[in-house]
Amino acid sequence: MSRRVAGGLVWVAVCGLTAAGCGSGSRARHAGTAADPYVIGMSQCNLGEPWRVQMDADVRAAAAEHPNLKVIFKDAQNSSLTQRSQVEEFVDQGVDLIIISPKEAAPLTKPVAAAYQQGIPVIVLDREVQGDQFTTFIGADNVKIGREAGTWIRETLGGQGTIVELKGLMTSTPGQDRHSGFLEGLELDTHPGLKIVFSGEMEWLEPNARREMESALATNAKIDLVYAHNDPGAHGAWLAARAAGRDKEMKFVGIDALPQEGQQYVKQGILDATFLYPTGGQEAIDVALKALAGGTVPKKIVLGTRLFTKENIDTGGQAIR
Amino acid sequence: MTRGWRAALGEWWATPVARALVALALMLLIGCVFNADGAFFKWSVHRDMLRQVSVYGILACGMTVVIITAGIDLSVSSILALAAVSFAWLTLPEGWPAALAIPAVLVIGTALGSVSGVLAARMRIQPFIVTLAMMVFARGLAKVVSGGMKITNYVQEPDGTSHLVPMPRIFGMIDSRVLGGNVSIVTVIFLLCVLATWIILSRLRLGRHLYAVGGNEEAARLSGVPVARTLVMAYALSGLFAAIAGICQAAQETQGDPETGMGYELDAIAMVVIGGTTLAGGKGSVVLTLIGVLTIGYLQKILSLNAAPEATRLMLTGTIIVCAVLFQRGR
Repeated sequence: MSRRVAGGLVWVAVCGLTAAGCGSGSRARHAGTAADPYVIGMSQCNLGEPWRVQMDADVRAAAAEHPNLKVIFKDAQNSSLTQRSQVEEFVDQGVDLIIISPKEAAPLTKPVAAAYQQGIPVIVLDREVQGDQFTTFIGADNVKIGREAGTWIRETLGGQGTIVELKGLMTSTPGQDRHSGFLEGLELDTHPGLKIVFSGEMEWLEPNARREMESALATNAKIDLVYAHNDPGAHGAWLAARAAGRDKEMKFVGIDALPQEGQQYVKQGILDATFLYPTGGQEAIDVALKALAGGTVPKKIVLGTRLFTKENIDTGGQAIR
Repeated sequence: MTRGWRAALGEWWATPVARALVALALMLLIGCVFNADGAFFKWSVHRDMLRQVSVYGILACGMTVVIITAGIDLSVSSILALAAVSFAWLTLPEGWPAALAIPAVLVIGTALGSVSGVLAARMRIQPFIVTLAMMVFARGLAKVVSGGMKITNYVQEPDGTSHLVPMPRIFGMIDSRVLGGNVSIVTVIFLLCVLATWIILSRLRLGRHLYAVGGNEEAARLSGVPVARTLVMAYALSGLFAAIAGICQAAQETQGDPETGMGYELDAIAMVVIGGTTLAGGKGSVVLTLIGVLTIGYLQKILSLNAAPEATRLMLTGTIIVCAVLFQRGR
């Protein structure tokens, strides 16, 4: 009985594989029409993070505008080696273009270069690979976003006030950059009235942010503003302040501004401001269309950010270049 | 009085509870020294510490039961996440009343725990392997239930439109405080879990069976203990407690996050072991676990109050776990 079931399963699997093989085809290039659309392979390093789920959603939404594009999505589940084989699979499948948001630079540089050298344009999103064997890199600048946040905070507080900083994982580049940019934007040297009274590491996690904020509340009688390196952190801080009955005393600023997270918090009046960490999904499809049409595209695109506050949230935020 | 007070004190000192209490007292002493400008002397700091450790503590209750049977349950953190997203999904987009959603989530947790128990007890797969598999499986299931996204009161309809639903009252209720704002509800839930575990371990026949199975499985079998059923009960209880913890986690985060609770199983194990319950099984109690939970909770609180950098925290936590266990073992 079980052998028959197993046999059946194998048979189904073989049929499935054959069908998949026929479906994707082994032709070199597609015509790029609605009947024979360009095939784009998108390899995402880890769909466990909401921000990366959003990146795939942005790519999907942007591609849906163009009937001559078809995108195949793959999730490497946080493994560089899986991601490497996904790139190789895309090449074997004969896709017309590859979008990759790599987990790490070193292990993915070679497979990306191999695909690029076979004439397949490769767009690298968010994290870089080494060298120049790719078509375009699109990414955001955390130092710049941190600087914008720092500047906004300095101006909003009028150069006077006590600040709590809840930091992301400080062994990660985004954590370091969002911290150093923030300090640049605050200009503490020329604004002695601004003070960072508590600085805790919450490793991007909401429960940890709440714990750190409770410590900040216990050790500081007055807090004017909380700057968290991501929106869940700012939300955790707000929960702590509300539990202590002190949420009205201070402002909350976060980063990332995901539509279903930070932007909603601003809408609900939980956060006073959040700064978009753009996914680049829309831009990747724009560049892809140009590259597929044989046009020239820039080697590197640095994305701007958007500021969301209560005033501008319903009109889509304010762009900061 | 036939014995001198010295002898009585010596006897008391030899008990695991006394050792655990001394370790906790030492931790409190450290807190008094590094009091962060007097913050450590405020009740609100202790209240918040108790709230923070409650979810871990609830997991540790179930972990104590499993460890007493000489087993281990690595799946609690994933069952917590599954419970959190299930609870958020049922109450927010689906709009179930809490009176239905809570029992449903508890059934899910208990069922998954029972599956681990059956695999360990009837199929004779090692608990470490079984619960490792369940840890991965339940995390995946949590992602399926939630569609990989956090479930919040911002609900997306299949047609692409979205709207805000009001936060059900149950979330605010679980994340509120009683006794004049001095004790968090989650802490009350944690203490009730400790009480329930204590009753099971010390007052019910099941408790005697759990200790017997953990002490010597073969001897227990020969003396008529239903070994397999006892083991299944242990893992089912652990799953139940993980589901309770998941509901508390969702209420405190005001969302169901499929990634929540990552690594909590190790904290729960550390709390049980620091209390003095040994991984070898057959020995220990939930009172010890309660003390262990408080010891780790205070350690984290003191480090946080003094804004110790993450690297220092991790190193100190590791060192103190080893010291506490050595201290437990005796002179």
